[in-house]
Amino acid sequence: MAVLDYLIFSLRNLSHHKLRSFLTLLGVIIGIMAVVSMISIGSGMKASLKEQLEQLGSDKVFILPRIAYGTAAVTLSDDDADAVARVPGVAFVSPLYSVAGDVAYRNERKIVKIYGVDPEKAEATFGAGASGYQLLKGRWLQRGDVYKAVIGYGVHDDVFSRDINVGSVLRIHGVEFQVVGVFKKTGDREKDYTIYANLDAVRGIFGVGDRVTLIIARVDKGADIEEVRQRIERLLEDRKGSKENFFVMTQKEIIERVGEAYRVVQVVFGGLAAVSLIVGAVGIANTMVMNVTERTREIGVLKATGASNAQVLRIFLTDAAILGVAGGAAGIALGYLISLSINMAAARYLGEGMLTTAVTPELVVFALGFSLIIGVVAGIYPAYRAVRLDPVEALRG
Amino acid sequence: MVIKLENVVKVYRLGKVRVHALRGISLEIPRGEYVSIMGPSGSGKSTLMNLIGALDRPTGGRVYIDGVDISRLTDDRLAVLRRKKVGFVFQQFNLIGKLSALENVALPMWFAGVSRSARVHRAKQLLEMVGLGNRLHHKPAELSGGERQRVAIARALANDPEIILADEPTGNLDTSSGMAVIQLLEKLNHMGKTLVVVTHDPEFGRRARMRVKLRDGLIRGIDRNGGT
Repeated sequence: MAVLDYLIFSLRNLSHHKLRSFLTLLGVIIGIMAVVSMISIGSGMKASLKEQLEQLGSDKVFILPRIAYGTAAVTLSDDDADAVARVPGVAFVSPLYSVAGDVAYRNERKIVKIYGVDPEKAEATFGAGASGYQLLKGRWLQRGDVYKAVIGYGVHDDVFSRDINVGSVLRIHGVEFQVVGVFKKTGDREKDYTIYANLDAVRGIFGVGDRVTLIIARVDKGADIEEVRQRIERLLEDRKGSKENFFVMTQKEIIERVGEAYRVVQVVFGGLAAVSLIVGAVGIANTMVMNVTERTREIGVLKATGASNAQVLRIFLTDAAILGVAGGAAGIALGYLISLSINMAAARYLGEGMLTTAVTPELVVFALGFSLIIGVVAGIYPAYRAVRLDPVEALRG
Repeated sequence: MVIKLENVVKVYRLGKVRVHALRGISLEIPRGEYVSIMGPSGSGKSTLMNLIGALDRPTGGRVYIDGVDISRLTDDRLAVLRRKKVGFVFQQFNLIGKLSALENVALPMWFAGVSRSARVHRAKQLLEMVGLGNRLHHKPAELSGGERQRVAIARALANDPEIILADEPTGNLDTSSGMAVIQLLEKLNHMGKTLVVVTHDPEFGRRARMRVKLRDGLIRGIDRNGGT
């Protein structure tokens, strides 16, 4: 007998009790919605992490002071950077100083993030596919540039009411800098809303001497990056007396740390999904038991008119399966909407392309299959009760 | 013989009490016979009906339907037997409320594995035969009592069974619809179906050629005459 006949028969029955059927579905809907949105965010995070890893290049070691209660316990200096540069396996180092400063353009003043970089090393550190920076107009900072700046796309386009272009003059704490280049949009809000200028000039303005906030060390081709990282860590431990006060991390470690944070999210969401799916299954089982009790006489009629036990079983399992799949479908639709809105929120607040969630066809098939199984499993016991009914007793109602 | 009972005993348990519904009944019903089963409430009429209809197995003795002993059949073999050999007509009609007249009639054919188009075709024919060709898509709630019982009769005929079993088929109907139902059932008998009717109504009962009187789970008498 065709599956279609069972589907039609079940739909007749379920549509007879629309509200009840809908309420029964809520648990499954919420559960599948959580599963779908979780997995889509998860795969989106994975994809964007991978992208970032590729963007940054896997050949760099990052050295930065540990920040506790808003201040750094130790500071790093040019001397530290020079020492790191002498570590075997290190190709070159690029010390950076980042600060949020008062920036004026024409009559407007804003607080903008400023990166002090060694102009000679700017392109090697950030450019050429290493960190995703590409020039839109103008040029990179070069050796000998002092009061020159390259700006992110957001600074060019968005921060001030008038666009800043190559040749424009900005004042950082009153000191004039000429814009020589504009980067293309990277999608990373932090990168796009930053001004890049001469390290010594920036430090001079803010009076921080030879302090650096981040040292990026690029490792020699073919060198074991983890070995180099450990060498740098030991060196800094010697220089600073302890390794507790700074981080020496490779790209991989940074990404692993983010991955760990994501796993926590996954466990929380997964737990929520599991609980609501159990609630959903219990809801279906409950409705199905009620369904069988109410339809006792009908079951008698089905049996009297020649339905075998297997056919009665299939009739009731189909009811349960439809409940499961309908809940699953609604859950997938809602999960998709959540995924979509997270996408939009991420594009707006984290930057374009930072997190692209995806509800893949595989995910849809998985979620539907899973909800079908939930429905059928929840329906087994009630359907078995229907099968066991004695036709004579059942006809008596 | 299309139906043959040999010393049939049926005992029910109602809680701790054992109820002897049938105490040893032997009965032979020839093919094409018109039989009425009469007797007071509790005489065992319905129990007898359930056994003849293969809805139930006897506690003792043997029940043969078209030569098959149902006493030892599995549930599924019983279901197949009901599907092929027996059509039930109930006092309460027992139509499925959410299905249309057509779908109710097609139901036994669904269980028998008849294709969808063949089911619809035959169900239409049967409904036309019982005079409901214009009510195919009505739900039972939209039909009168007499119409509902005629749908039930059409359903009983779906798989072209040998035996039509009617349990108080006129019990819930007014006199004129009751008479229409009686005439329809008798028409089927004329067409060759074995008709077994349980009834309280002596007038209806007298119309049968073979009349079985039950009391306290035993046959008190079988009358035969020319009938209608």
